[in-house]
Amino acid sequence: MTTPGAAKAGDPVISIRGVSMSYGGRRVLDRVDLDVCRGEILVLLGGSGSGKTTLLKHVLGLAKPEAGSITMNGVDITRCSQSELSAVRRRIGVAFQGGALFNSMSVEENVALPLRELTRLADSTIKLVVWLNLIAVGLSDAGSLYPPELSGGMRKRAAVARAMALDPEILILDEPSAGLDPIVSAGLDELILFLKRSFGVTVLVVTHELKSAFHIADRVAMLYQGRLIAVDKKEQFAGHAHPRIRQFLDGQPDARPRVATDEFIASYLRGSKT
Amino acid sequence: MTLLEQVGRAAIVQVEDAGALAMQFWSVFWKLPRVLPVVGARRRWRSAVEQMLAIGASALPMAGAMALCTGFILALQSASELRRFGAVELVVEVVVIGFTRELGPLVTALTVSGRSASAISAEIGTMVVTEEIDALRVMGLDPVEFTLAPKYLAALITVPCLTVLSTLFGMFAGYLFLAFSMDMSLRIYFQAVAEAILLRDVFFGLVKSLVFATIIVHVGCLEGLRVRGGPEAVGHSTTAAVVKSTFLIILADLGTTAIFYLLGWSSTR
Repeated sequence: MTTPGAAKAGDPVISIRGVSMSYGGRRVLDRVDLDVCRGEILVLLGGSGSGKTTLLKHVLGLAKPEAGSITMNGVDITRCSQSELSAVRRRIGVAFQGGALFNSMSVEENVALPLRELTRLADSTIKLVVWLNLIAVGLSDAGSLYPPELSGGMRKRAAVARAMALDPEILILDEPSAGLDPIVSAGLDELILFLKRSFGVTVLVVTHELKSAFHIADRVAMLYQGRLIAVDKKEQFAGHAHPRIRQFLDGQPDARPRVATDEFIASYLRGSKT
Repeated sequence: MTLLEQVGRAAIVQVEDAGALAMQFWSVFWKLPRVLPVVGARRRWRSAVEQMLAIGASALPMAGAMALCTGFILALQSASELRRFGAVELVVEVVVIGFTRELGPLVTALTVSGRSASAISAEIGTMVVTEEIDALRVMGLDPVEFTLAPKYLAALITVPCLTVLSTLFGMFAGYLFLAFSMDMSLRIYFQAVAEAILLRDVFFGLVKSLVFATIIVHVGCLEGLRVRGGPEAVGHSTTAAVVKSTFLIILADLGTTAIFYLLGWSSTR
């Protein structure tokens, strides 16, 4: 799919420049700059409310930023036409947090959907591609099941299979390990590494799971209150001195909120008796 | 906030509602041909047929039962008055005109609104919450064409069909009443119906039912697409869909009836 010469490892495939966004007067993204380079796995870390979901929506072209640009494969998706956006999206595979599988279709049909709708492949070819994708994610015997019958881990795998159906250059995963037990989550991490190794796909993962982040990442970026406070190779990132990053990595709570002390309660009870 | 501000803000919300309805209608309208069987895209027709079964076929027992009851009530109520003038036979006219012009479309629309406006908004609202709508967009598939258009087509086809059937049920209820109260035979009843029924009235009834069908599916879809946040928002949207579509149906009924009246088309015979 790529033009010759442009497909060098290390080139930025997604470059986010100065993206800002606010909802109802609150800054959700504040001048975010980030590059995702070809062939790497970039993990975007951040706590709840850090703006990582919002940033993801912008990268997918589902929301337009107030300021800044997002360039994918040389096309600025914040300013391009609908048809250009569609062309860019054809090269992206996305696995949403809950899988976003269509409940009225079986797993096979879900994976086949983008192939049937967007390509002119023959049915037999589509069947083969679906089967290969399901094998790749380890769901070859679950093709005829429907999404409600799947476990959380299987649903995520099915979503990855659907995301991989059109052989994308970029795979975007939203919270792949959220709500999964450690074993299933580790299996999914292996799957991501496998996809990168065997298909050379560029992966952007949005998560708050540290263990899986450091296992799979080439580089780690961290969002805090809408600002990108660090982007680094994972080895350097682990030693980062920023207090927020230390807090996040060490799993420390925020400063203790004001709560009623025992003395206060006792004095209150004494007061109410008299 | 001053009273003026409150009124202004409420008005803006209403105008936004109306604008959103209009924009969505426009975008779906252009996608409708894509759903049609031969000229349309592959597989959309199949999902339209599924929707027809859900919106139309499975609403038939309910719509039929409601039309039967309404027809009987109408016959009872009018007979008690008409008897004073010794003109019980005119019940046939009342039932036929009442159902072809008004009750057939209305009873059907209210049934479908209760069943399907809620179901449609719940389905689409859930798709929003589970990011399925986003997934469609990212895959380069148009959610309007993929999920909305088949529903519109299904409603536009099945609601008029249901209307015809429930009008027949209503007239049958009129026959039941007359057969019990004055031993009218089916043949005579048929003759009386044939005299009372006007093609023009049937046509108006069908025009109304098309308007109602549009309202039901339109409000259901819009409320579904508006869902933000978690599953509890889906519940709110289904309630809003039923309330709004029911209200709009009555309002549209008033509007269309008034138009027909002003054009002088509703004067009898």
